[in-house]
Amino acid sequence: MKALVIVGHGSHLNEDSSLPVYEHAERIRETGGYDEVVECFWKEEPSMRHVLETVESDEVYVVPAFISEGYFTQQVIPREFGLEGPVTKKGSKTVHYAGPLGTFEKMADVILERIEDLMRDKDVSEGRTALVLLGHGTAMNKNSSGVIYLNAERIRARGGYDLVVEAFLDQDPEVGEVVGSVEAENVILIPVFIAEGWHTRETIPEDLGLTGEVTRRGDRTIFYGAPVGTHPSMAGLIAARARELEGQVVGSAS
Amino acid sequence: MSEAPPETSGNLAVESRAAFAAWVREAPGGRRFAQVLIRRQAPDGYVLCHVDDAGADDLKVYEDPRAARELSKLTEKGEYRPLKSSPNLRRGWQLRVPDDGGLATAMNYLYPAAVVHWHLYREDRLEITHYRQNAARQSGIYKRVQRLSDKGVQNAARACCEDAVCLKKTLWDVDEQLPLEMSRGEGEIPCPEPCSIFVSFARQVRLFEREEKRDLDEIGLSRSEKEDLTTLVRAAATGEMGFTREAEFEEPLNERRLRYRNLTLVPKIAPEAGEG
Ligand code: SF4
Repeated sequence: MKALVIVGHGSHLNEDSSLPVYEHAERIRETGGYDEVVECFWKEEPSMRHVLETVESDEVYVVPAFISEGYFTQQVIPREFGLEGPVTKKGSKTVHYAGPLGTFEKMADVILERIEDLMRDKDVSEGRTALVLLGHGTAMNKNSSGVIYLNAERIRARGGYDLVVEAFLDQDPEVGEVVGSVEAENVILIPVFIAEGWHTRETIPEDLGLTGEVTRRGDRTIFYGAPVGTHPSMAGLIAARARELEGQVVGSAS
Repeated sequence: MSEAPPETSGNLAVESRAAFAAWVREAPGGRRFAQVLIRRQAPDGYVLCHVDDAGADDLKVYEDPRAARELSKLTEKGEYRPLKSSPNLRRGWQLRVPDDGGLATAMNYLYPAAVVHWHLYREDRLEITHYRQNAARQSGIYKRVQRLSDKGVQNAARACCEDAVCLKKTLWDVDEQLPLEMSRGEGEIPCPEPCSIFVSFARQVRLFEREEKRDLDEIGLSRSEKEDLTTLVRAAATGEMGFTREAEFEEPLNERRLRYRNLTLVPKIAPEAGEG
C-alpha cells in the first residue's frame, strides 16, 4: 500500500494555515493514486512525530507544503520524522521525502492558474500589464527569495506579460515600492505563499491601501490575488511531487 | 542528531484500529473516549456523539467519517481548537460511520493519533519521550525551552496539562529521574510526549523565569506579573472578562497563563492562601 503524507506548518491560533493542506489532501483522495492520504503538522495534530504510527501503508511519500527550501524543510521536518535523507527505512516502512514545492517545474503553472482565476471577468485598462510575484523574503535565507526569482524567470520565458517583477515583504525590492513604481497601467499582485494569513489578509492590503481584489488608484489598477498555495491546482503539484519520488531506493541521491 | 521518533512495528495502524473497534463492540452501552461516546450500530457500524449528548434526539446527523474534522475544529462559541484533547469539543452532532475503517478515520480527526497511543499503552509498549529529551531537539525560537528549570517544567505541566485544560493522561516526566508532580489525568488517551502547545507554553514560562532573575520590584513582582494583575482587575471591573485564545500565551488573560499565575504569583502575594 502507498500513502501520501502532506506536511503543513499549522497554527495554534487559526485554521488558515492547515486549511489548504486538508483541502489538497481531499482533492488527492478523490483523484486516487494513494491508498491513504494523511495530513500532519508542525503546530497542530497529528504531529510529524506521531503521524506515521497512524499510517497503514509501507510505502510512504512525505511532501512538505512549503514553498521554499529552508529551516523547516531541511531541519525541522527531517528531525521530527527521523529522516536520514531522500529515502529512509523505518521498521517496515520506506519513507520517501520530497523537497519543497516552489522550485518544482509545475509551480509556474499553478501561479498562472491563480492569475487566470483572479482575472476572469475583470476589466483590464488599456496599456501595459505587469505581474508582481510577492515573496516573504528574508535576509537570513537566500532560498526564500530564490524561489520567487526562479518562478518569475520561468513565467517571463513564457511571455504573456509586459513585465514580470519580484517583490518582498522583508527584503528589497520592497513590495510597496515595486507596486508604486512599476511602469504599467495594470498591476497583478500574486502572493507566492502557501496559505492565507496575517500578511495576506491584513498587512499587505493595509500597507498598499488595497480595497479588495481590484483597487483603482489614479491611472493604475491593482489586482490582488489570493495566495498561490490555496489554489486547487496545488493539489496536482503535491501529487506530482510525490510521484516523482517513486522508484527511489535507500541511499539514492534526490 | 536527536533521538528518532518511535518506530512503528508490524502494522500498528491496522492492529490498533481492530483493537479499538473490538473494545467498543464488547461494551453494550458503548465506550467513552475523552469527550466522545461511541456506540455500535448494526450491522458493522458505529455512532459517535458528544458524551453529554448521549440521550439527545435532536442531533444533526453526519455520515462521512471525515466530517469529524469540521466537528472538532471549533468550540461551541466558534473558537478555533488548536489542541483536540482540550475539554471543549462542541455538542449537537451525531456521526454515523459504516465500519471499523470509518471509525478509525473519524477518531483520528477527533483525537489525532489517540487510538494508536491508547492501544500501545494498553499493551504496555508506548514509548515515552520525557520533557528534557523533547526539549533537547528543539531549535529556533523554541531552543530556549532547554533552559526551563525543573520547577518551571513542573508548574508548566500543572498549568497546561491537567484535566481542566487537557484530557490526556500525562505520562512523560521532567526526565527519567524526576517525575511530574501533578494529577496526570483520568482520561483514556495517553500523552507520551510534550505536544507543540506545551512546548510553546514552556517557552512563555521560560520568559517569565528570566524576568524573575532581573526585573523584580520591591515586593518581588515581575513586570509581566503586574501587567497580568492590572489587565485582570481592569477586565473584571469593566465586565469584559473572558479568556483570550487558547494558545495566546503572551496575552495576560490566557487560561493556561492564569493557571500558571495561580501556582506562582498567588503564593507570592498571599502565602497563607496556598495554591488554591
Ligand atoms: S503535553 Fe500536556 S497539553 Fe499537550 S497533549 Fe500532553 S497532556 Fe495535553
